[in-house]
This record gives sequence, structure tokens and C-alpha cells, in this order.
Amino acid sequence: MDLVTILKTAVAVPVIGSLLIPVANKISVQVRNAYAVALGLVTFAAAASLLPHMMNGATATYALSFPLGFDFVLNADLLSVFMAAISSFVSAIILIYSLDYISHYENQTEYYTMVVLFLGSMMGLVFSANLLWMYIFWELTAFASWRLVGFFRSDRDVAKANKTILVTVFGALCMLIGILMVYFDHGTMDLRLLRGETITTAAAMLILVGILAKSATLPFSTWLPDAGVAPSTVTALLHAAVLVKIGVYAYARIFGVTFMVSPAFSHGVLIIAGLSALVAAGAALIDKDIKRIIAYSTVSQLGFIFLGLASGNKTAFVGGLLYILMHSIAKGGLFLCAGIVEQNTHNKDITKMGGLIKTMPITAVAFALCSLSVMGIPPFGGFFSKFLVFKGAAQHGSILVLIIFLAGAMMTLLYLVRLFYLVFLGEDKASNPREGSATMVGSVLALALIGLALGAFIYYPSLYVDMLTTQLGVGLETIQ
Amino acid sequence: MTTSLLAYLLIPLFTAILIPFAAKTRRKLADVLANVTLLAGLLNISFILFNPANIALSFSNITEDGFALLMIFIIYLVALCVTFFSSYFIGDDSKVNRVPYYSLIMTSVSAMCGIVTTGDFFTLYIFVEVLAVTSFALIASDESGKGLEGAIKYFLLTFPASLFILFGIAFLMLTAGTFSFESIKIIIASGIPAGAVVFSLSLILLGFLIKSGVAPFHAWTPDAYEGAYAPVSAYLAGIVTKISGVYAVIKISIMLRLFEIKAYHTAEILMFLGMLSIAIGALAALRQKELKRMLAFSSISQIGYIILAAGMGTPLAILGAIFHLVNHATFKTVLFLNSASLEKGAGTSDMRKLGGMEHAMPWTSWTSIVALLATAGVPPLSGFWSKLIIIIALWDGGAKTYAVLALLFSVVTLAYFMVMQKKIFFGNPTEASRNAREVRPAMLAPVVVMCLLIAALGVFFPYIYSYLVETIAARIIL
Repeated sequence: MDLVTILKTAVAVPVIGSLLIPVANKISVQVRNAYAVALGLVTFAAAASLLPHMMNGATATYALSFPLGFDFVLNADLLSVFMAAISSFVSAIILIYSLDYISHYENQTEYYTMVVLFLGSMMGLVFSANLLWMYIFWELTAFASWRLVGFFRSDRDVAKANKTILVTVFGALCMLIGILMVYFDHGTMDLRLLRGETITTAAAMLILVGILAKSATLPFSTWLPDAGVAPSTVTALLHAAVLVKIGVYAYARIFGVTFMVSPAFSHGVLIIAGLSALVAAGAALIDKDIKRIIAYSTVSQLGFIFLGLASGNKTAFVGGLLYILMHSIAKGGLFLCAGIVEQNTHNKDITKMGGLIKTMPITAVAFALCSLSVMGIPPFGGFFSKFLVFKGAAQHGSILVLIIFLAGAMMTLLYLVRLFYLVFLGEDKASNPREGSATMVGSVLALALIGLALGAFIYYPSLYVDMLTTQLGVGLETIQ
Repeated sequence: MTTSLLAYLLIPLFTAILIPFAAKTRRKLADVLANVTLLAGLLNISFILFNPANIALSFSNITEDGFALLMIFIIYLVALCVTFFSSYFIGDDSKVNRVPYYSLIMTSVSAMCGIVTTGDFFTLYIFVEVLAVTSFALIASDESGKGLEGAIKYFLLTFPASLFILFGIAFLMLTAGTFSFESIKIIIASGIPAGAVVFSLSLILLGFLIKSGVAPFHAWTPDAYEGAYAPVSAYLAGIVTKISGVYAVIKISIMLRLFEIKAYHTAEILMFLGMLSIAIGALAALRQKELKRMLAFSSISQIGYIILAAGMGTPLAILGAIFHLVNHATFKTVLFLNSASLEKGAGTSDMRKLGGMEHAMPWTSWTSIVALLATAGVPPLSGFWSKLIIIIALWDGGAKTYAVLALLFSVVTLAYFMVMQKKIFFGNPTEASRNAREVRPAMLAPVVVMCLLIAALGVFFPYIYSYLVETIAARIIL
């Protein structure tokens, strides 16, 4: 298949395929589940098969003409394929894990439809080379996450789901204003034409509001821990793999490889990210709900990704992109482990757990491995990304920002150790828990081992990311 | 008057007269006659609109005014949805007499077609009055008493509007010496007695603003929609208010932009009122407990967008206004018909008494979601594109503050709809919801068709846009 066909497949299969899931449900539940997983796997296969082509310097573009410069342009380049491969991989794992996890709840058809639709909008978003279409897919993800967070239908759950969509849509509308300002300044919304242009501070700030709202960074972070009422698969999808990564992807795409931004703007982003990393880490240290702790941890880790992307030099940017990869895998694993724990102990309060390592050994191991990767302990993948981010940030030269982030990294260590200790070690408090089903445990173990493997073979991802940064990075200093 | 489109006006009128005679003994025949007439009209206008040969000529072979074609299409579509829905909704309900009900609907379809095809203010006024009288009677068609209250409120509060319009038209005759739209445009362009013409146009405009229910003249809409017989409120909100008020406002604002100096601030006032409506409608909708009242306030808010764009007056803004008018007709019809379905299925449309309806009425729930997302302007549905065009036009025309505010009020729109969806369809089932069941497929059909249209208008946006540009903008605006 030629590249454009693969590109179209990666976007069209999940978006259009998801709408047929209710139809598949009419045939049988098994057909529906198999179909949903197949959609996820096909999407991942399509995105992954583009990776080697991108390494060889190929690009693929598919364009449809729309009036008023609203052209629908799909463009595969190093960055978009990188993001697409990561998120489709984690989404596929989540779909497989869901087969058991979700099997005894209501609204399953809606669940599968929305997960796949979500994946499809994510694909559309990363491949869109037009700001307006990025916005359109952005809103589609908001819609899907609204239904997913509101999976359980009690008043409280639905209220949290409404909060999620309202916060992110508010951010998105601010971003739309920013996009329109770009449109009126430059006469186009096509990112390929905007490359290397400067962006006004006002427009950049408005777009940033949208990004911060989506990636749950301060001051818009409140929706993310609240969205923990959703099933663990949803939180893994939203908080680890896809939704929050949309924000950092948009940052990398708009401010990393398209527009030149002023140093003051980047510095402001660093401060916000630093505060976000610190405050969220503090919250993770004191919370008692296992999923909320991991959610706060995500808010905190996203700060590190922003640190990498906004530091303005090549090393940090490479680190930031690697961080996206490592964090998606490791955090996805953590949420799915939490799902097993929650489902088998019927409890989310970590003070009422303990000693689970005896009854859930594989989950405990997977949890430990993922935690180590998030903490950034060598030889896990998370170490290299964190190291590069700090190295780059040190070169950028702001001591204050560096100290804030070092403190954040220390706290990461603390809250993850605390979490692991309270849940898996210590005395046995929960009543007869048992290990999760084979598919569920297999999924988390796969994620944990991949995290380890990425560390062992860090050469390949870093080669890719290095090439990406060299070819696409705009306005990055190269200090060795 | 565009004579080639006269059939769209005369045939429903003929049916309206026929119904009382034909359905004298067999009342069900009234349903059939009304539906068949409207379906025939809809097929006919669709055949004209979607014929590639006509599209290639930008419809210059049919009419000089592409705006009217689009409006006739939407009038027939909404009216057909409402009559088809009504024919099952009324059922064996003895409170509603089918014969006058369908007769009145057919008369009002005829009057609306008259409004959109007429070429002068006096004919416009006559048809608007016919429409007002039929709506008045339709609101009261539910003889249980509440309908009568709504009807009286509608009559009393829109009565001054007619006075303003009549007075304005008289003054126009004195100053400009003509009623015809084209002649008035020529007089404006020649620039002679500008002040007097603006005054008379403003009076007419004021009348139509009251009829469209724009803030601060919105007091009648919630009462009328709430009090009206359920399908009638869909009909009123979906199309009647748009045609009797908003359509004329757009027409007049096209004239206003011909004045050199922004028509002595009339256009600015129009924009301000539009923004005020957006804000008041959205904020008031947040606080409503009764579904139909909430939808009424939502209508006020959405009409605000149309008026805001009309006030801006640039070709792109007018396009956006027309597009939003069409879109609003579709999604408001869905939401009001769904509220009628709720009344049928669960016995009430009071949000406090409902909950967990999604299991009992899944189709109603999902069609509501589609319509509310379109109203809030969530892409890729139709409402997103029309709002985007309006916002871009506002920004381009220099009204950046309005553009930003109008955009941010989408969040409020989304918020009140989220509250609605949560209270009615999600959450735990209440007393009323437990016994509820989905309405019959025939009643869902119009709603589903409208939802498909909402999606199609959004997905096929480039075609819609080129229709608007080539047929409407090229002909009537410039």
C-alpha cells in the first residue's frame, strides 16, 4: 500500500468504524468486542507501519479542498507518526484489557464506540495539518471523553463528566480564538505554510489556554482527578495514553515545530509547568484514593514534558518527546494495575489495602516496574527521558525552574513508593482479593515489560526522536 | 412576488380549505391530506434544489432570489416533520380537533411561503399577520386551558409588533413612495432622504425584532412555547418565529448595509441586541426547570447569533446568519419534538420529575445529544460551521469583542444542555421514568431524519457553503 492509503486508513478506520460498533452489537456481543479490538489493532498497525517510512525521510499528504481556507489536510511526518503510534498502541492494549474489565457493566456498546471514536479523533488530530481541523478533532475527543467519564450514570459521575467537557471545551474555545487570530494575521491555518512564522503573544496565550485545559495543567487541572470516577480503562485512556497527551502534542506541534515563540512566553510556560508539577505531586502525596493519586501524578509528570518541550534546546526537546512515549506506556500500566486492584478489592482507598503482593503477585510486579519507569530509575525508559529533559533544562539555564522540577522529581519518588508500600506491602487488610484475569494481567505485564525494553533499547527511539528534532524543530538551540 | 414559486403558497392553502370538507366524516383523512401535500411540496423543492442542472446555473432559471428556495425547503421540511409527528402524537386524544389543527398548519405554511417569496413590505405585512393569527389559534389548539393562556400572551405581546410594522410601512410610503424591496434599495443607493427612510425601516425592524423574540422583547416566547400544544411549540420554535421575525430582520439588514454611514447606528444597535439575547437567553436557560421553557430561552440565545450576524451586515455575516437560521430550524425542531416525545412517553417534560430516561427512551436520548451538540457548536455538526462563519465575519468586520463573547457563550450553551441531559436522560430513574417507554418508530422518524440532516449539513459543509455563496450572496447581498 502506498503511504497515503495507510494514512487514510489510520484515520478513517477508527472514525468510521466506531460508528458501526452499535451495528456489530446487533449481531452478537462477541462480534462487537472482536470488531472493536480489531479496529484498534488495525489502527495501530497502520500507524506503526508508517514509522520506518518516516525514518527514510518520506512524507505523505492527503488534502481535500474546503472553502475559506478550511482545507482538510492529513499530513504524516516524523512527529505525527510518532504520536499516532504511541497512542494507538496504548489504546489497543486498553481495548484488549477492556474485554474482561468492562464485561459486567452496562452501556458496553457505548463504551466501545466511544473508545474507538476517541482513538479515531486522536489519529485525526495528530495527522491534521490544518489548525481548524486540529480543533475539530480536539472537540470530538472532548465529546468522546464526556461519554466515557460519564460511563457510570449516578448523578455524581455525570456531574464530573459534565465538568470535564465544560473545562476542556472552554479551553478549546479560547484556542479557537487564538487560531482565528493566526488565521487573520497570516491568512491561512495550514501548518505547513505557517512553519517558521512568528505568532503574536495574545494568540499564543489563547492557544496555550486550550492546551493547558486539555493536558490538565494548572490552573485547569481540577477536572482530571475528578474524572477518576470513570472505569480504570477510561482513566488509563484519558489520563495516560491519549487525552492529556493531546495537549503536549499540540504544544510540540504548534510551538515546537511550527511557530517561533518569544523566550518570555516559553519561560512563562516553564513556570506554570513547574508549579503544576510541584502542586500536583504534593496532592499525590496526601490523597488516599489510588486512582486520584495516579491522576495527580499524571498532572505532575505532564509538567516535566512541558519542561522538555519549552526549554528551547534540542536536548530538552528530544527528552520531552521521549518522555511522552515513556509516560504513556508506564502510566497506562499503572492505571490498568489500579483497575485490577480496584476491581478485585472493591475498594479505592489505599489506607484500607495492604499485602496485596501475596495474592496479586504479577500485578504487583507490573505496578513496581511501571512505577520505576515513572520515577526515572535506570535502566527503565523513564530514566533516559527524565535525564535528557533535566540536561536540556540545565543548559537553558534557569536555576529556579530547575530546582522546582528537581523537587518535583523527588516527590514523584516519594508518592510512588508510598503508594506501592500501602497497597502491596504491609499487613493484609482486604478481604480475600484475587489476581485479575489473564487478559488483564497480561496487558499490564506487557506494558511494564515494554517500558523496560524501551530502556534497554533506548537507541532506537532516541534515534527516531533525534531525527525528528533535527528535521522539524524550529528555533531550537543546539548546545552539546 | 416571485410568481414561479406561487404554487408553494397556493397548494397548501387549497389543502387548508379542502380539509374541513374532505375530513368531515373521516377525521383521519386530515392527517393524510396534510402530510401528502407537504411531502409533495418537499419532494418538489428538493428536486429543484438538488438538480445538478439548476445548481450549475445557480438557480437563475428558477428565481432571481436563491434565499427563497432555501427557506421554502426548510419550511416544508419542518412542517412535514411536525405534521407527521402530530398525526401519531394526537392519537386518540380527544382534546385536539384534527380538522382545524391541520387546516391551520397548512394555512401557516402558505403564509410563510408568502413571506419568503414576496418582494414588497406591504405583502410581507399581510402574510405576517396571517401567520400571527394562525399561530395564535394553533397555540390554543390544546383545549385544556394552558394553551389558551399561552395564546393570549402571544397575542398581547406580539400585537404591538404589528403596530410598529404597520406604522413603519405607512411612513415608508410617505417618504420613499414605494413598498418594493428593489425600489427601496435603489432609493437608498441614490442617497436622497436617508434619515426618513432609516426611521421607517427602523420601525419595521423593531416590529420584527419583537416577533423574533430577541431580548429585551423576549418575554412572550417562553410562555408561548411552554403553553402551546407540544408539537405546536416545535413548529413555532422551529420555523414560525424564524420566518415571521428573523427572516425579515435579515432582509432589512441587507438593505441597511447599503447606507453609507452604517445606517445611523441602527446596525450597531442590532448587534448589541443580538449579543444581549445570546447572553440573557443562555444565562436564563441555565436556571430553567421545565424543558420547554429552557428550550425557549435557548432559542432566544441562538436567535441572538443570527441577529448579531445580521447587524454586522457583511456578505459573509449574512451568509452565516442564513446558514444558522437553517441549522437552528433543524436542531430546535429535534429538541422540541423530543420534549413532546417525553410528554407522550413519560407524561411530563418537567426536568425535576424525570431521570434515567436513557434506558426507556434511547433514541430520544441520542437524538437529543446530537441536537444539543449541534446547538452548542461542537464540530463537525452543522451548528459549528454556521457559528464559525458568524465569528469569522464578526472578527473580520472589526467587532472582535462580540466575536470573542459570542464564542465563549458556547460554553454556557453547552453547560445548560449538559444539565438538561443529565437531569432527564442520565441519573437514577424517578417515579415518572420507571413507567416510561420509547415512543413508536413513526414518531422517531422525523427526529432521526432531522439528526441525519444536522450531520449531513456539517459533513458536506463545502457544498452548502458554495450554495450560499453562489446562489444567495452573489444575487441578493451584493
